[in-house]
Amino acid sequence: MKEKEARVDYLDHQLVLYVEKKDGSYGPLRTGSYITKNYLDDYWLKRRNLEKEYLGKVTGGEISPIAYYMVLEELTPSELAARVKIPERKVRKHLAPATFGSVTVDELRRYCEVFSVPLSSMLHALVIKGKNVSIREAKTNNPYFTMMKIEAGKK
Amino acid sequence: MNTLGFKHAMAAHCESGTVSSILSHAGLQISEPMVFGISGGIFFGYFESKKFPFPTFVVRNRPGQIRTNLAKRTGAKFAERRFGDPAKGERELNGLLARGVPVACQTDFFYMNYLPNHVRVHINVHFIIVVKRNGDNYIVSDCYSPSLSEIDRDSLMKARFAGGSFAPRGFLFYPKFLPGNIDYEKSIWKGIRSASFMMVKLPMPFLGVKGIRLFAKKVTDWPKLARDTEHLSHEIMKINIFLEDQGTGGAGFRFMYATFLREASELLNDPDLLGMSKRIMEIGDRWREISLFAARIGKRRDLGPDRLRELGSMIAARADEEEIFFRDLLALSKER
Repeated sequence: MKEKEARVDYLDHQLVLYVEKKDGSYGPLRTGSYITKNYLDDYWLKRRNLEKEYLGKVTGGEISPIAYYMVLEELTPSELAARVKIPERKVRKHLAPATFGSVTVDELRRYCEVFSVPLSSMLHALVIKGKNVSIREAKTNNPYFTMMKIEAGKK
Repeated sequence: MNTLGFKHAMAAHCESGTVSSILSHAGLQISEPMVFGISGGIFFGYFESKKFPFPTFVVRNRPGQIRTNLAKRTGAKFAERRFGDPAKGERELNGLLARGVPVACQTDFFYMNYLPNHVRVHINVHFIIVVKRNGDNYIVSDCYSPSLSEIDRDSLMKARFAGGSFAPRGFLFYPKFLPGNIDYEKSIWKGIRSASFMMVKLPMPFLGVKGIRLFAKKVTDWPKLARDTEHLSHEIMKINIFLEDQGTGGAGFRFMYATFLREASELLNDPDLLGMSKRIMEIGDRWREISLFAARIGKRRDLGPDRLRELGSMIAARADEEEIFFRDLLALSKER
């Protein structure tokens, strides 16, 4: 690939491509990501639609919150089980709302570590109406307890 | 920021970039393409497994082999450790940093929170170099970041001790012996021979050029596996990401391999390698056409059977080209 074809002006996502330089030599070129520059809006559109669809399934009692995060993070029950360090059959049990209640608090905490979400998000969803509201969950020294800070008038 | 003389550099790929960078810091100047080529990094594999939510493919050898093959073929030695106990793994890392030793660590990419959200996925084979401690945080050199980055202790620990496929178990390494005189001719040809063999001689239908053909055939069945059109679009557009953005240097490592062959031809004064370098660069250009095509049809949701057959035939054509290329390269390596 020629250097000029590889150049993408996009500072927010830089990467290295190997290209044919102007002098005919081959070497690395730091440039912007073509797909991020041109298609990131489409990625976020699909992500928002997926979140909406699967949140509807959680609130409609079709799936558990664990199933919701598993789909969003593109994990399978088998991979999730290995990450949470519990048997796959247990994960499958936790995916259905009817048997989600059998999950222990410690297992739930481990799921949250994998999904990188606060423990409380397994039991509720926050819907923000209005602008410039900042919501932040901060960890405490207690692994089962977080502090939620809601500030209005913040961007 | 005092980083004990460590020079951060972006690279195309995390493993080859990390190995090149940590060896260079230790005193062995070796480029990323040379690391990749000697280790026989170029590859193809198509996988359908219950570990993956959707079929996927790889364009490089098994994670870790870049380091192990390079060490075997050049005589360099790395100190390597894994840990059952995270506390021990943390102590070892801190101890090495306290002695001023930059340490390469295997991590889950998901927790690299200094990188943009949309690129971070759960994959346990991301390599970074931890350069020093900064209070409760760590300064890391990540090939995908334009500058040195800072990561909090909690995220680094989670990343080093994530479970799942290829679980890192705190794996870390650093150079402990550098050969005074590397026999580049021998190591380059070993790397070429092994990569060519893996591309054309493996009997498994999902590996090497056979894997490319399987991918070409199976991609037309992807609509049956997708939840809906948006999911299919997402998976088709990931073809572009896997080939271009996910640390390949473009065209699924084919451009980096061309650069390796060019560097090797100059080092060994071998015009045949220069010719092969040009050929794989051109093949890479056509892989890039696939990337751009996949992104375009994914965005337009133009994913009907005819379009996917067109995509499949483009992929199949790459298999035909690579079969000839790697057979020629294997034959050349046997002559040397």
